[in-house]
Amino acid sequence: MTNYNIVGKGIPRVDGPAKSTGKAIYTVDVKLPDMLYGKILRSPYPHARILNIDTSEAKKLPGVKEIITGQDLSDVRYAFVDTPRYPADERPLAVDKVRYIGDEVAAVAAESESIAEKALSLIKVEYEILPGVFTAEEAMKHNAPVIHDEQLEGTSAWEQWGVAQRKGSYESEIKVNNLSGHTSVSFGDVVKGFHESDYVREDSFELKATAHCQMEPHAAVASYDPIEQKLNVWLSTMGIFLKRFFLSKVLEMPASKIRVHHTFVGGAFGGKIDLFSYEYCAAYLSIKTGKPVKIELEREEVFMTTRQRHPMIIKIKTGIRKDGTILAQEVKAIADNGGYRGSGPVVIFLCHGFSFPIYNIENYSYEGFSIYTNNGIRGPQRGHGAPQIRFSIDSHLDLIARDLGIDPIDIMRKNVRHEGDVLPNGDKLNSCGLTECIEGAAKAIDWENKRMQFRAKEGNRRYRRGVGISLCSMFSGAMYYPFASAAIVKMHDDGSATLFTGAQDIGQGSFTTLSQVLAEELGIGMEDIQVVAGDTDLCPIDLGSFLSGTALVTGNAVKLAAADAKRQVLEGAAEILGVDDIDKLDTLEKKIFLKDNPEKSISFQQAIQASVLNRDGNPIIGKGFYKGYPQTDRYPSLAKGKGLFTSAYGFAAQAAEVEVDTLTGKVTLVKAVTFHDCGFPLNKTIVEGQVHGCVSMGAGQALSEEVFLENGQCFNPSFLSYQLPISLDTPESVDELVATIEPSGPFGAKEVGEGSVAGILGAIGNAVHDAIGVRFYSLPITPEKVLRALGKI
Amino acid sequence: MRLPEFEYFEPESLEEAINQLAKNNSCTIIAGGTDLVVALKQRLQNSRYLISLDKIPSLKKITKKDDAVIIGAMSTLDDIINYTLIKEKFPALRKAAWDVGSPLLRSIATIGGNICLNTRCRFYNQSLFWRSSREECFKVGGNICHVAKKKNSCVSTFSADIPPVLISYGARVKLVGANEERVIPLENFYSGDGRFPNVILSGSKEILTEIEIPIPQNNLKSCYHKYRMRESIDFPLIGVSVAIQFNEEKRCGDARIIITGAGTGPVEPAQVRGMLLNKKLNANLISDAAEAAVTEIYPFKTTLISPRYKREVAKIIISEAIREVGGI
Amino acid sequence: MKKTIRLVLNGEEKNLLVNVNQTLLDVLRDDLGLTGTKKGCNQGECGACTVLINGKPVSSCSLLAVKADGKSIDTIESVAKEGHLHPIQIAFNEKGAIQCGFCTPGMILVTKNLLEQNPNPQIDEIKEAISGNICRCTGYLQIINAIKSLAKS
Repeated sequence: MTNYNIVGKGIPRVDGPAKSTGKAIYTVDVKLPDMLYGKILRSPYPHARILNIDTSEAKKLPGVKEIITGQDLSDVRYAFVDTPRYPADERPLAVDKVRYIGDEVAAVAAESESIAEKALSLIKVEYEILPGVFTAEEAMKHNAPVIHDEQLEGTSAWEQWGVAQRKGSYESEIKVNNLSGHTSVSFGDVVKGFHESDYVREDSFELKATAHCQMEPHAAVASYDPIEQKLNVWLSTMGIFLKRFFLSKVLEMPASKIRVHHTFVGGAFGGKIDLFSYEYCAAYLSIKTGKPVKIELEREEVFMTTRQRHPMIIKIKTGIRKDGTILAQEVKAIADNGGYRGSGPVVIFLCHGFSFPIYNIENYSYEGFSIYTNNGIRGPQRGHGAPQIRFSIDSHLDLIARDLGIDPIDIMRKNVRHEGDVLPNGDKLNSCGLTECIEGAAKAIDWENKRMQFRAKEGNRRYRRGVGISLCSMFSGAMYYPFASAAIVKMHDDGSATLFTGAQDIGQGSFTTLSQVLAEELGIGMEDIQVVAGDTDLCPIDLGSFLSGTALVTGNAVKLAAADAKRQVLEGAAEILGVDDIDKLDTLEKKIFLKDNPEKSISFQQAIQASVLNRDGNPIIGKGFYKGYPQTDRYPSLAKGKGLFTSAYGFAAQAAEVEVDTLTGKVTLVKAVTFHDCGFPLNKTIVEGQVHGCVSMGAGQALSEEVFLENGQCFNPSFLSYQLPISLDTPESVDELVATIEPSGPFGAKEVGEGSVAGILGAIGNAVHDAIGVRFYSLPITPEKVLRALGKI
Repeated sequence: MRLPEFEYFEPESLEEAINQLAKNNSCTIIAGGTDLVVALKQRLQNSRYLISLDKIPSLKKITKKDDAVIIGAMSTLDDIINYTLIKEKFPALRKAAWDVGSPLLRSIATIGGNICLNTRCRFYNQSLFWRSSREECFKVGGNICHVAKKKNSCVSTFSADIPPVLISYGARVKLVGANEERVIPLENFYSGDGRFPNVILSGSKEILTEIEIPIPQNNLKSCYHKYRMRESIDFPLIGVSVAIQFNEEKRCGDARIIITGAGTGPVEPAQVRGMLLNKKLNANLISDAAEAAVTEIYPFKTTLISPRYKREVAKIIISEAIREVGGI
Repeated sequence: MKKTIRLVLNGEEKNLLVNVNQTLLDVLRDDLGLTGTKKGCNQGECGACTVLINGKPVSSCSLLAVKADGKSIDTIESVAKEGHLHPIQIAFNEKGAIQCGFCTPGMILVTKNLLEQNPNPQIDEIKEAISGNICRCTGYLQIINAIKSLAKS
């Protein structure tokens, strides 16, 4: 492997000092002169018709500056998915109906939060309560209450970008009630495959809603300048350009008249992509009042009214040869996306997209449904579909291995894909370390010695241990507005550089890794770089920090921008050094030198000054750009799974050792092993931190986390009642990076931030089975479920 | 959620505090406030006046008096944890104080506050907005229980860690009112009514000023076991305090087993005291005692955990706790 | 209703006029602009709002500001001195203990108190000390490692 000076090293975060001293400003910390505080009135009912809203009493309350309801707003709708097939279905404030508990009904701007809260209590809303439906299976039935009974017009928000143009009618051929999305993919001949199999098994799995639990609550500050007609916003978000795009659409304002300003983001995990009502309301209230307006959600609102992971039912049928070769697989997935579509059609597509790169199955069919219910809205959450599908498939294969009396790892070995494989959609695996991941994880968990051993040895002991393994994969960026990332590198007189990027550091460390890419490529030090980011007026377009695309897509853009700047530096230097070809020059530590005579050198400072002095004042500004998905005219289709999806897939094998207390039913994750193929790790410390975070979140979702819902009402909207892991739950952890080189990635890097949230669930489920001989078909595996399964309660 | 409007008094003597309490309706004593502040934000508490006991130094003292330890009600949990005599003589009390909430609350939360802690329920400990989805329940003055629909009373659950231990040590509390002061066994402080689970919450205009715990003889063994899903932050799903007086032959004398998380107040399974009397502890006896104990608890689904699971876990931790004090 | 309180804030004596229905967190963030102390849950369950009161870590969202009268309060803004990061801040950054950074101020203050009480904490003691501070990003491992690296054996 090439020796690098800066990339690959565990360099401390560039934003570490700001964050550790309390100086980092998050959206919740933004305070502007004369600022008003907004609050949102929400529906207490899961499904109801709005008969009347009376704001007159609230308007009389001193300190109340503005109150808006759905009647005041235009009819523009927005949504995470906004295509001809799936028209946007959300409004900032409800007009006709409310469709989940927390649906937005009115918004208030007042001089203080207390006054705004009081104003909400004075607004009178008359509802006609409608019957609700709270599971996808019930909602699909022909006599179920219909949640969206209005006709939505579908023009694609992105048509001007050449995406998803309407072709013919999208009348669904599927006749189920409350359908919000449908994905159907198949290749080979499944019937034939099952017919030729030695063994066929079917299982059904169920996954519950989970919460992101970003530590920073969602918040927005908006400040409208009526003279400039410009809207300034501060948002806790993963993608500034996407938010600007959404706001521009719903506010019917030119994009350039909206400026998203940089703030630090206190965690996102997928839950800060969608446009939210509170963001729109802050903007609209600011436009109406001419004053800055801040809306900060309560923790309860974050749990109940932002986004959750989709609860899913997944049915799998697999046909296999005795030797473990999978011949056919049929998967059906049903996702409950709540009262609005959210990312329903996407998650059912991604369940396929994040799983099919793993096993090479000749005959395969996948069908996914996303369904409206009267639960809270579901959206992307770290892994977005991968945890659900990976838990299900690898639990299912573990069961098959037990039935056949073979080692589940042998099934994995036999069926996994390899470098160079071309996936059925045409994506090529230019790097794939799956096999190395599996072998590494098996060794690290001591698979040969520990599997099935504990049970035999420990007999009827109270504490029993077991091991399990599972695999996962993830895109490294994909196609979503604005489809590409760009970067600008501006060189200063003193030879240092400022990087302008639209990427967001949501905690994953992108400012640091992107700075490393820049420093390495340009030949300067980390201390020579400043980052200007998160500002739509200053920074070039960027995909945003989701779909795990920042390292690969924005990383490439930064590398190209650095190369462009370097070329210009070298051109300036070549004149001074009297060299005719810049290829004879190289850079290191802010010096330009002759490759064949390193003694002969000049400083960056001299070269930059020369460029200005000798070239009509031409400053050195480097530009780079990179598309977020492979160059193709085959746009991916959510419905048919056709087209190319991503440039590179990250992979991981994860193993778990658990201890089950057979008296109380408590399962403890003793040891978690992750072997992640993330390509070349740009920053080892940061990459390991991503894996640890994934493992902790995955373990929480495997063992304790669930958004408890009864008739659409969330019973645990707090950190006390929503059982996410605390420090005392931290397992022993082994993390190895299987360094492949991804040809399309900057220095060979690809995804790391999401994949390994998905494998740990199946690893834990399989380990629990190994420990106590009981299979759990649903998560989380709570102590209560364990005791029930053991027949003790 | 911002705090509601209220007025705040900081009397500098107990008499002054009691006078203020007597004078005003809609008046609540605030000790550490860790629980009360949340209740105020959620509008579960709507008092117009708060009376702080911060400026009354006598309530913060821990002293030894004859054969008892007197703990001022405003002593913080950290004070309890660090007091040498408590470390030596009341290990279960120290453990229970240590187990309350998280480390970030223990330097402000007080023992008096823990004794007066309100009962909890998944339908009750929610915000005003959350509760507006449903009819008001008994606990907030309504006419229904969402947990036990057929019951004509509130089944919210007592979840304090420290009172069971104090009861098992035979502690008494001093209540001071405008005209009288009384010292009562702590078990009598609790009403068993989910709506108004203790004397103070029932509206008596008294202030709990101190706790008196008799210093046990050397052959009293005690412990507190708390079961919860996460070993910090969480309230007990079930907690059990065991204190057994052993005689020279290692037979059980008085055995007190007090359970939290299992009813509207601390629960002492009556038959167990008799079952253990004059017996030597052994595995079978302990198992029988635990089985018998859980027939006397009546958990409801006031948390997200089923009563059936609670009962099973109660059995396990009761056994474990008795085994620990018996050294088995 | 307002009250004047006297306290030592980050080493400086102050008289503050506060509303009795403000928490200490409200006063720090809204009135004094000390936004390094974060509001994560506002219910005493996450530790993002941790400050040191007379040296001990406390959830400032659970404490009425009037109750800070006569106390010494230290917030994250007091930890770096004279333009230099504190060794805890350096260790947190070097060991990868910071991701989104929202829990970081609370974690650092808890660590400061822990190391003052116990200069050589074991892993279990570290986990216990930070058990009231929730972090969703790191899975706690690199935080525990950072604190362990500061232990003086």
